[in-house]
Amino acid sequence: MDLVKLVRRVDFILILAVIALLCYGTLMVYSATYPQEAQDPYYYLKRQITWVILGILVAVTISCLDYNWLRPYTTPIYILNIILLASVSFVGRSTLGAQRWIPIGFFLFQPSEFAKAMLIITLSAFLASRRGEITSAKDLSLAFAHIALPLILIFKQPDLGTALVLAAILMGMLLVAGTSLRNYVIIIAIGILICFLIIHFNLLKDYQMKRLIVYLNPDIDPLGAGYHLLQSKIAIGSGGFFGKGLFSGSQTNLRFVPAHHTDFIFAVIGEELGFLGAAILLGLYSVIIARGIRIATTARNLFGTLMAIGVVSMWLFQILVNVGMNLGIMPITGIPLPFISYGGSSMITNLIATGLLLNIYARRFK
Amino acid sequence: MVPEKIHIRVAIFGILALLVFSVLLGRLWFLQVLAGEKYAKLAEENRIRLVAVDAPRGTIYDRKGNVLVENRPSPAISVDPSIVKDKRDVLSQLAEVLGVSIHEIEEKLKEKKDPLKPVIVKKNVDEGTLAYIKEHQSEFPGVDIQIESVRDYPRGNLAAHILGYLGDISEEELKKEEYKHHSLGDFIGKTGVERQYESVLRGGKGGRQVEVDATGRPLRVLSKKDPVPGYNLTLTIDADIQQAAEEALAAAIETAHRHGHKDAAAGAVVVMDPRNGELLALASHPSYDPRLFKGGVSSKEWALLNDPSSHFPLNNRAIMCSYPPGSTFKPITAMAGMAEHLVSPRSAFKCTGRWTRFGERWAKSCWKRSGHGGIDLIRGIIHSCDVVFYEIGYMLHKTQEKFQEWSRRFGFGTLTGIDLPSEAKGRVPDKAWKRERYKNNPRYRIWLPGDTVNIAIGQGDLLVTPLQMANAYAAIANGGILYKPHVAKALLTPEGRVSYEFKPQELGKLELPPGIIGATQIALKRVVSQGTASGAFAGFPVPVAGKTGTAQVFGKDDFAWFACYAPADDPRYVAVVLVEQGGHGGSTAAPAARRILSHIFNVPLPGPVDVIDVSR
Repeated sequence: MDLVKLVRRVDFILILAVIALLCYGTLMVYSATYPQEAQDPYYYLKRQITWVILGILVAVTISCLDYNWLRPYTTPIYILNIILLASVSFVGRSTLGAQRWIPIGFFLFQPSEFAKAMLIITLSAFLASRRGEITSAKDLSLAFAHIALPLILIFKQPDLGTALVLAAILMGMLLVAGTSLRNYVIIIAIGILICFLIIHFNLLKDYQMKRLIVYLNPDIDPLGAGYHLLQSKIAIGSGGFFGKGLFSGSQTNLRFVPAHHTDFIFAVIGEELGFLGAAILLGLYSVIIARGIRIATTARNLFGTLMAIGVVSMWLFQILVNVGMNLGIMPITGIPLPFISYGGSSMITNLIATGLLLNIYARRFK
Repeated sequence: MVPEKIHIRVAIFGILALLVFSVLLGRLWFLQVLAGEKYAKLAEENRIRLVAVDAPRGTIYDRKGNVLVENRPSPAISVDPSIVKDKRDVLSQLAEVLGVSIHEIEEKLKEKKDPLKPVIVKKNVDEGTLAYIKEHQSEFPGVDIQIESVRDYPRGNLAAHILGYLGDISEEELKKEEYKHHSLGDFIGKTGVERQYESVLRGGKGGRQVEVDATGRPLRVLSKKDPVPGYNLTLTIDADIQQAAEEALAAAIETAHRHGHKDAAAGAVVVMDPRNGELLALASHPSYDPRLFKGGVSSKEWALLNDPSSHFPLNNRAIMCSYPPGSTFKPITAMAGMAEHLVSPRSAFKCTGRWTRFGERWAKSCWKRSGHGGIDLIRGIIHSCDVVFYEIGYMLHKTQEKFQEWSRRFGFGTLTGIDLPSEAKGRVPDKAWKRERYKNNPRYRIWLPGDTVNIAIGQGDLLVTPLQMANAYAAIANGGILYKPHVAKALLTPEGRVSYEFKPQELGKLELPPGIIGATQIALKRVVSQGTASGAFAGFPVPVAGKTGTAQVFGKDDFAWFACYAPADDPRYVAVVLVEQGGHGGSTAAPAARRILSHIFNVPLPGPVDVIDVSR
């Protein structure tokens, strides 16, 4: 492979944007966690850097293989996915009332995160096999059945956020995979109906219900369920245009904003780096989303297009919900901010997704 | 290859993505740029907590520098609502240890708005309870011991009414401009000097700006402002004279009981300097223990203090209650008559024991039923002859209310302006007053000659406070100047330097010809040497001038009065004694005044001789 060919095969824009995001995120994780007293101030930083390096290695590996090579293995991948998700209830570790993690050495492995990547692969293969014509009720039902099992397993953990991400991935892929507009509207209507049923039959946990209520009116319980929402808004708002400066976020560092290195890290950015820093972050995201969409259109086959769309759907939905809840316009659900939030499973999953995109881009030629 | 129509679908996807970023960016712009200032303020409030530091309240001294009120550190128990919030078992156990109801604690926790600030639930906690809580600290999470500064009274009940007490500021008080720097939970002066001089005694609160984390845990002090201690206050009160006055008053009530006046239970004493209006003693009986209020008075004790059977010990009867003055008012009548040229000191009257100028049907009698015979004005005062004053009253009735005007010039019917709260005005009745009072009853609306005649002997609708009486006699004693009575003498800085002196203030001059006051002074001196008070002052070496009074109150036993000044020729002390339902002034009130003057002039008390005087 000569140099010119190699350059044409690599999406440098995407790589640069992702690296910028990784640096940004690592810095913010450090800023959000360094004042932890009675603990190594570099604890979270060191671990995050480990995930980043590990993730990059995985991404490079994935981008080097031909994604079409994955196709025959979709059934085993799907089964592995289900096994991993199901195993959480047996060997899983409970934290904060949810059973989402499997301890592996010093690492808490979170199958629901990897489930997103695996589902993108298996669902793409399934939808691609229908050659861009998903019109029959049977095909639609099969598509739904495909995500139903992992979704229910994740919903039960409970991990409402990730379950919603799966649904978003399906919706994004169906849009591109050739569902008619009429069917699409019907599906959305059914989705809304299901949401109502879930609320009606009280399938949500109490705290989830409360979050939904305070989302509609955050002042109801400012010290209880509405606390996160209000404090995060205060943190971001008080950042102003230029922010209070890196490491100087009083709101976030004094822990008025909880989970400020994971789900609420955007609040730290908003407070410390202001509108400028937050807008730069959104700019970087728009670059990777735009590249993802471009890769989808240039992919060699439908399998590649759908996989790219799956990745873009996942990121777009996570950005919308996470940033949205930090800004107080979305209900609070535990969804990490891609490349930025602290956490190994999420970081590695996002880098796997990046690897898939690079792979599809590199093999866009026949 | 990808089917063509997929490109359109992917484009829709791109539009969706654009929409998502626009919404997020728009919201970001709104929060950070448009509403940024509002949120910055909220963030500050979140992060910085102001912890108020109370200033030490000023010490109160008597005129000789004896401490009357000072501060003492006292342990209190506080509860951190953010920790104890839902732990009812902790609260109920704490309530049991502290001996209060859990309801009371919960109420206090509810009062405070700041959910992160500890709330004091019990003040002035005893050693045993403290030790118990310290030993069992692990069972009381969020419960803390705080050292507060509380008022201490080294002389016990002495001068309780003058000093007043402190209490929790109320919601209504907080709304007033005067208390704008206070917050709920503050202790403020409720009555007496503590209330009157609240603004100087309390000093300025200090504060610490503390940075806290989300749980309210203090991280570091950002800035500090030391409290400014309150001024110390020196009173004009002489603690020893005050003590003598209180003892004399109690003794007078006992005497009244011995004389068969069983309902005697309350009274007042005023001792003042006629040369400047300084009050040397101000006693009111019954009294109360100001220490009851140290930790916030309990509802049970409060109910007891306000129960009629306890005769309202919180009332300072010397200034807050008004009474008919009886014959102590006669010198005022006499001076009004002389000032209006209706009588002279030597004017002759004839007392047969009955006065029938309004006809036999409306006959009035003198207290001495057998009559005083031929009598002049001076002797009329000395022997308190009613007929003489009926006559003068009758004459004064024709003077377009000149009598009322003179009464008011002596300070009756109006506030003296004493520097203590809740002073009563008393009442000098006149035509206008009666018209208003009986506006729904036309038959009684007209001012009648008999009304003026009644006032002339200090009866009828006339009401005066013991303080007003003292002030009027001070004016007689000093030749006609009415001073504003006051209890504050000087403000001292915390270091003890005099920062402000309360100078005498003249309320007015009586503008009476000197002969008139002189004649009255002679008469008053003879009241003590040979008249109605001679029994009480038998053998007293210092010349005293005064007047007894026995006021009749419908449905009650007579009220005993004595007003005097001494030494008669160089007056330095005015003393007024009132005993509610104490019987005759000469037998109950005058001996009490003698006891006080005995103390002042260092004269040994006579043996237990009961003086019987039946005059009015």
